[in-house]
Amino acid sequence: MPDRLRQYRPLLLPVAGLLAAAALLAVPAVGWAAPAVQEGHGGGGAFFGLMPLLILFPVLGLLINIAWGRRLDEKWVGGIASGAAALSFVIAVLQWVSLRAVGYEAQTVYLADWLAIGELRAPWAFQVDTLSVTMMLVVTGVGTLIHVYAIGYMHEDVRANGDPARFPRFFVYMNLFLAAMLILVSGDNYLTMFVGWEGVGLCSYLLISFWLEKGAGGIGNARAGRKAFVVTRIGDWAMLLAIFLIFWTFGSLNYQEVFGAAASFRLDAQGQWVVTAITLLILMATTGKSAQLPLYVWLPDAMAGPTPVSALIHAATMVTAGIYIIARSNALYALAPFSAGAVAVVGAATAIFAGSIAIAQFDIKKVLAYSTISQLGFMVAAVGLGGYVAGMFHLVTHAFFKALLFLSAGSVIHAVEHGHHHAAAHHTAGGSGPAGDHVPAQAHGGAAGHVDAGKPGQEDHGEHDALDPQDMRNMGGLWNRLPVTKWVYLVGALALAGIVPFSGFWSKDEILHDALGQQNWLVFGLLTVAAFFTAFYMGRQLMMVFAGQPRTEAARHAVESRPLMTIPLIILAALALFGGLFNLPSIAGWTPPGAHALGDWLDHTLGAAPGGEHAGEAAEAAAGAHAGAAQAPELNLMVAGISTVVALGGLGAGAALYRGRPATAGERDPLRGVLGAGFTLIKDKWYGDELSDLLVIRPYNWLAHVSADLIDWRFWHDWFHNTVIGGIFNGFARFSADFLDLGVVDGLISQAPAVLARAVADGFRRFQTGYVRYYALIVFVGVVAVLGYLLFVR
Amino acid sequence: MTTGGLIALSPLIVLAAATVGVMLVIALDRDHKRTAALTLASLVVALLALPIAASATTRQVTPLLVVDDYALFYIGLTLAATFAVAALSYSYLENLAGQHDEYYLLLLSATLGACVLIASNHFVSFFLGLEILSVSLYALIGYVRTRQACIEAALKYLILGAASAAALLFGMALIYAELGTMDYAQIAAARPPPGSADAVLLLVGWGLMLVGIGFKLALVPFHLWAPDVYQGAPAPVTAFVSTVSKGAMFALLVRFFAPMNIHAYPSLVVVIAAIAVASMLVGNFSALLQTSVKRLLAFSSIAHLGYLLVAFLASGALAVAAVPFYLVAYFAATLGAFGVVGARSGPDGDADGFEAYRGLSRRNPWLAAAFTAMLLSLLGIPLTGGFVAKFYVGLAAVQSAVWIPVFVMFLSGALGLFYYMRIVVIMYMRAPADQPITPAASLASRPSGAVLAILTLLVVWLGVFPALFIEIIQTWIAR
Repeated sequence: MPDRLRQYRPLLLPVAGLLAAAALLAVPAVGWAAPAVQEGHGGGGAFFGLMPLLILFPVLGLLINIAWGRRLDEKWVGGIASGAAALSFVIAVLQWVSLRAVGYEAQTVYLADWLAIGELRAPWAFQVDTLSVTMMLVVTGVGTLIHVYAIGYMHEDVRANGDPARFPRFFVYMNLFLAAMLILVSGDNYLTMFVGWEGVGLCSYLLISFWLEKGAGGIGNARAGRKAFVVTRIGDWAMLLAIFLIFWTFGSLNYQEVFGAAASFRLDAQGQWVVTAITLLILMATTGKSAQLPLYVWLPDAMAGPTPVSALIHAATMVTAGIYIIARSNALYALAPFSAGAVAVVGAATAIFAGSIAIAQFDIKKVLAYSTISQLGFMVAAVGLGGYVAGMFHLVTHAFFKALLFLSAGSVIHAVEHGHHHAAAHHTAGGSGPAGDHVPAQAHGGAAGHVDAGKPGQEDHGEHDALDPQDMRNMGGLWNRLPVTKWVYLVGALALAGIVPFSGFWSKDEILHDALGQQNWLVFGLLTVAAFFTAFYMGRQLMMVFAGQPRTEAARHAVESRPLMTIPLIILAALALFGGLFNLPSIAGWTPPGAHALGDWLDHTLGAAPGGEHAGEAAEAAAGAHAGAAQAPELNLMVAGISTVVALGGLGAGAALYRGRPATAGERDPLRGVLGAGFTLIKDKWYGDELSDLLVIRPYNWLAHVSADLIDWRFWHDWFHNTVIGGIFNGFARFSADFLDLGVVDGLISQAPAVLARAVADGFRRFQTGYVRYYALIVFVGVVAVLGYLLFVR
Repeated sequence: MTTGGLIALSPLIVLAAATVGVMLVIALDRDHKRTAALTLASLVVALLALPIAASATTRQVTPLLVVDDYALFYIGLTLAATFAVAALSYSYLENLAGQHDEYYLLLLSATLGACVLIASNHFVSFFLGLEILSVSLYALIGYVRTRQACIEAALKYLILGAASAAALLFGMALIYAELGTMDYAQIAAARPPPGSADAVLLLVGWGLMLVGIGFKLALVPFHLWAPDVYQGAPAPVTAFVSTVSKGAMFALLVRFFAPMNIHAYPSLVVVIAAIAVASMLVGNFSALLQTSVKRLLAFSSIAHLGYLLVAFLASGALAVAAVPFYLVAYFAATLGAFGVVGARSGPDGDADGFEAYRGLSRRNPWLAAAFTAMLLSLLGIPLTGGFVAKFYVGLAAVQSAVWIPVFVMFLSGALGLFYYMRIVVIMYMRAPADQPITPAASLASRPSGAVLAILTLLVVWLGVFPALFIEIIQTWIAR
């Protein structure tokens, strides 16, 4: 046991140092920022002044790691980064304490001026209310656990990929992400929110392509990062346009002022049009950031990033930014029932679409990736229905159980990788290395591509030399080999599937309840089927990974991960198990202690938002729905019954179908027998990737290629010059030389001029004067166009 | 000319005197360091003369020049940018064989031309300033005579510049023929009402002037020289071309057209909007697959001038302040980017291929960090000056309801900006090439290092705390 504990000892000093720094900074910070906080709440709000530290800690952490990361031991690097995240969590908790003390009244903590243009005021200021603090707690809490996990995970990962020097960089990026995400959720206006919005996108890009030179063909990961960047940029563009429209319409970007203005907004024809446009643009931004139809395509590829990244960014935090911003903008959606309806439908459609894809994937992380898209669809549908509490509740529980599942999947992958190495060592050396020992980088070369989640043609492979440790067909029978991982995985899976009393049940139930309450049968139906899919693919995954007999040598020799990785898993498992307690409904007239806690808590922000009272009838309906949702409801036994039946049915069907199958890695999937050709369709993701490739990526690449390569280079420089200009010039030279000189001037001075003309023509080509003539031609065309328009069109 | 006029013109006089002074000093004895120091010192003196000029009683100096707050701001910007270019040039030229004193002569006279351009309110001073600037630039672009690319670039710039100057002159002549005046204010006062038959000649004149101006600004379709010249010219000169030269011309564009109320002439607005949209699209998309860093920056600069044109179209109270802010942010990032290119360049040629930046973060982390800051700013990522500037322009355009260009601006920006990230990725994520580090490549000598540090801080400062600077602009220009 002392040995086990010893590995944590290096963490002590950095954590202590950061704590000391925090204490040093906190004292002046309180005195400095306290006046900025509204007075008159007694001493309870004292901690609001610490708000800037929330972002300062990750920034400090990353600065330290940039400066000294290379010289520090891995444990220190990871410890500093995790310590920074933990300190941010402490600050977030303190904000919660302070909010309680002031009766949950929203606070603005002003830090400094940022932008002041005309009437636009966008200061560096923090919005501390129940909604933002919820996000802060999730981001920093789950973030801290993932940081700690990543110390162990990346230790192996950098070695498996043959570049241990990259270890500090990972934590720099992670802290940077944390800072950006916290800016996103804590800003008090749309513009500072956008700063974080862009920042997390950048970090996501950096982390997806963390192993830039790896992946399919050596560029797979780079391509995945680029895809994420470009696709989400479309959403960012929509967000920026929405921001401009908001300012144009309401004359401010500050949340309070915008929602205040929205409350008294005159909803005439143009006003309705503008508000609908704003909310639809925010929806479009959400489809980019939160991976909804049709911009979801980047998220599965984003699994190319290391597993902690998938857990933190692409499951728990960044991808929920869209849900947060819709919930935040609930006053605007109350004015635009059409947009709210569109949000609900997009969410529900995404939930069922992605859920159907997930049931036929073989890559353990791909299943979870599509599952994430599907669950985000649940949340988006919820906020679209006006069930903001339900959406946020699911956001919180999903952060717990999906982070848990991803991290456990990382643990499984590690175990299989280890087993693979172990087995290989057995075969070659005839002896076994000490289990759990670190392997030299080169020996792991076969698994170097494991971060690539996008290998083509995974379906019909057998036992390859280069074992894919993420392929569930290479697993099986891990139940007896992973004593910790198996339990936490089970907890995560049951929570995701929505089994009573795991957290996922309560939050999913509340969403279904809201859909039913609105009598939105379309959304209710879609989500119910999606819930069935969810349970089914989790049953399938549990069976394929843990049940039966090992299908490969690697699985046979799988080894459990180190405590540094498993302890965060256990904490997350506890959260996934008991997360439902945050917002229990009343059950058959009995209100359990602490019931509706999250609902009541969020109601201070969401309920206080100026709703549709003044905003016409259509809006009132939406506002009414939202009010109903905000009061955490009585448990509807019918909904609970349906959802339990669906969950158990899905889980059972999955388990039954995959019981003991596939028996070998090469055996075809049992579901194929049930679905026939349909299996191929969903396995190939309804050809969504191909479609987006055809509609977006290829035209994009084509345009880039045409404008850079073809027009700028080959056309202008080669073809046009050599063929057109050169041809004309040579033709002219020949004409003047052969015809004029020889013919008309009848070769008076022999052929000298012709030779000269040719020499000029050649020289002209060599010195590329032709370009200039061509350029001049284009300029001339431009002149003609400009003048022609001015003269004749006017 | 009165004493007041002389005081008002003092920054220009200092520049002119410095040009002559430097020439005389070179004639006596060559010393690169001394010449550079003299140049930098005279630029500082000219900058110090700005407050004095601001206190002058006479603002209209001769019928040709007006030294108002607007002019003083842009002259200050020009001088500061030239200072940066001169410091970057010193480090760059130190690496080249031969004598380089005359370079500074040309730089000073080009700056003088730019300042005249900024202060002009008459066609004569417009053309005078333009030619002082252009002729100096021809020589500067071709300064490194041993490089064929340099000579070629200079030749192209010369030929096309001459053609566009002809268009410009012809436009001026038409307007003069129609209105009988060459003074901007008088043109604005005497211009025939839109839609009348007389307005045709005026429109054609404006159109031809736009061609000349569009050439200097490298706007589509008059942009074709830019990639070749950017690539061929020495890095500091490229920096000068894409900042000082374009900035001065843009200041003139705004000054000339502001009183004309272009929005009364829908066809002119359509033409300018079309040029802006085409510049943004061509710039961003052509940059995507470039393999040459300088060419890439050329296309990026084409796009950026397109963004600026959007602000020009907006022409509200916000736009008046958005343009200078954008120019400052653009200047800082562009100067910095070319500064890094110059710092990576050796005697044999500029560091143009992506290879030269591979793994730079390991060899020279400071240089890599500076370059990253510049590229992120050009890309418009929040917390850099570029984001605030772009947002500012967008806001101005939205307030004037110039929707389509804004739409294109952010869409093309969102889709086309991947190219900046390619350089960042190469610097940070690829291992350095195996070739040994040449002394020149590893050295960002002191003057250019200092300038780069200041520019980097400026880019970040403009992104994080732009309020102070916006206030300066609003009190100085927009009052």
